[in-house]
Amino acid sequence: MAEALLQAEGLVKHYPAGRSGLGRGRAVVRAVDGVSFEILPGETFGIVGESGCGKSTLGRLLLRFEPPTAGRVLYEGRDVCGFDARRLKAFRREAQIIYQDPYSSLNPRRRVGELIAEPLEIHGIGGPAERRERVAALLGEVGLRPEHARRFPHEFSGGQRQRIVIARALALQPRFIVADEPVSALDVSIQAQVINLLRELQERFRLTYAFISHDLGLVEYLADRVGVMYLGRLVEVAPCAAICADPLHPYTEALWSAAPMPDPAARRRRILLAGDVPSPIRPPPGCAFHPRCREAFDRCREEAPLLREVAPGRRVACHNR
Amino acid sequence: MGAAAVLSISGLRTEFRTRRGPVAAVDGLDLELPAGETFGLVGESGCGKSVTALSILRLLPRPAGRVAAGSIRFEGEDLLALPEAAMRRIRGNRISMIFQEPMTSLNPVLPVGFQIEEVLRKHRGLSAREARAEAGGLLARVGMPDPQSRLDDYPHQLSGGMRQRAMIAIALACRPALMIADEPTTALDVTIQAQILELISRLQAEFGMSVLLITHDLGVVAETCREAAVMYAGRIVERAAVARLYARPAHPYTVGLFRSLPRAVGRGGKLTPIPGTVPHPAELPPGCAFQERCFQRHAACREDPPWAEVATGHFARCWKPLG
Repeated sequence: MAEALLQAEGLVKHYPAGRSGLGRGRAVVRAVDGVSFEILPGETFGIVGESGCGKSTLGRLLLRFEPPTAGRVLYEGRDVCGFDARRLKAFRREAQIIYQDPYSSLNPRRRVGELIAEPLEIHGIGGPAERRERVAALLGEVGLRPEHARRFPHEFSGGQRQRIVIARALALQPRFIVADEPVSALDVSIQAQVINLLRELQERFRLTYAFISHDLGLVEYLADRVGVMYLGRLVEVAPCAAICADPLHPYTEALWSAAPMPDPAARRRRILLAGDVPSPIRPPPGCAFHPRCREAFDRCREEAPLLREVAPGRRVACHNR
Repeated sequence: MGAAAVLSISGLRTEFRTRRGPVAAVDGLDLELPAGETFGLVGESGCGKSVTALSILRLLPRPAGRVAAGSIRFEGEDLLALPEAAMRRIRGNRISMIFQEPMTSLNPVLPVGFQIEEVLRKHRGLSAREARAEAGGLLARVGMPDPQSRLDDYPHQLSGGMRQRAMIAIALACRPALMIADEPTTALDVTIQAQILELISRLQAEFGMSVLLITHDLGVVAETCREAAVMYAGRIVERAAVARLYARPAHPYTVGLFRSLPRAVGRGGKLTPIPGTVPHPAELPPGCAFQERCFQRHAACREDPPWAEVATGHFARCWKPLG
């Protein structure tokens, strides 16, 4: 296997849950609860799961937006939390994020040119004239025009705004981008434009993506490998093609079977999960999925299964596999 | 089409007051909803699908929105001509509606049981005791776990999926002839979405009601509807049985939607997005509203396209329909 660009080792992130309440011990939200995987250079690693599974928190940990409660993130083999100021600055250039909502991630009072030039200014790259040139070039890369630099975000549609966000993320010539639901706020026809753009840019700049999404169709289409999260843990990691054809974890199986297919001829066996996702404040003991699992047996209620390799490149956390 | 229509809309024009003057969100919409089945109305944001639903129920925000023209016939009457009191007897009674976000349509300061009982008392004239029993029964029918004790829960105590179940219970309380579901699963996770879609399909069959399912999700339509219509810029541009629509879409916009869909294109396939964006309703070109984004635009598109029957029961508003 190629050397990983990024590696998560036993990542844990707990947040205090509101007021400490009546009891003594503070309740914690186990947003990410022991996650290990790696992202290879040049690949798109899809992170899927339903709301509250911890996928966005995981993305933030990968970028060192906050320190993990336990575990490490290794970037090119080095712990991102151990970076000195110089290395951290370099990491901040090389690792970028694209958020879901292009309405809230662009300052409405600044011109598009300023928004895209800001990372260059912060990192002291080029003079004003050079930056203007760079902004014009970046706008071109994402399919906008140089004169758009003078406009304000509200003058653009959602799809165009997301292009601006992407241009800004590209400004520092990053190697790694966390894309957190980058097209979920867009209509289908516009989604396709942005997805094509992300793919083109990946090829042109040899980008590595962590692609966080709840949209399985999208992940299926884009990702090379996929990690499926449930209640703060990875339940399965596998090449995308393998996971689509033959999901191993009962949750992965149910998730894929629940996603509606735009094909009336494909009448599939839908596995209906009973109930809701439990609270990450009080996850069930043992395997967190066991209360909704059709295959659960005694061991699942007591012992949390470890993510282990069951076939080359395929890892699953289930006592039954 | 076969079955009789439960509701017929003809020539509907719904306008909103804007700074630029009145703008039509829906213009010249004709739609016959088949009785006793689930009909899908698909389109992207701003196409007028929700405005159509609100026009049917006369729930447009006032004074900004109003129906400027058209008729909506339901059970022998034109809903648009009814006095408000008569409309109130239809709304929530013969036609009910569920929305995308149950948290905003349920009253947060009243227990869900009370909200279901209220409908039963007001519309069906049940006594408090009867209403209580019936409300528990309804919650059980919509698959609410532990229904009796849930009656006393407030909306915030329920999960998103359970809230949508409670909304559906309210919508079903009066055995409506037609239930309008506007993006009922869009705010929900896929596994919960699957539960709710299954529930809607099951209840549709059990109650023999008609369902108008409004959604942006072609996957949802494929799995729940027998027939569907596609909306673009305030009008219906295509209508067909779902099997036919997905196999041989005829309107270039519908074709464009499928080509934009990762799951329809498949891994390794190429997405072909629809160029440009939806024009503002005040700036629609004359003739076909889609012409500027269309891959087969030609001179005739400046004229209003005909509602062409491409095959039996398959219509497209286009000068050069495919399919």
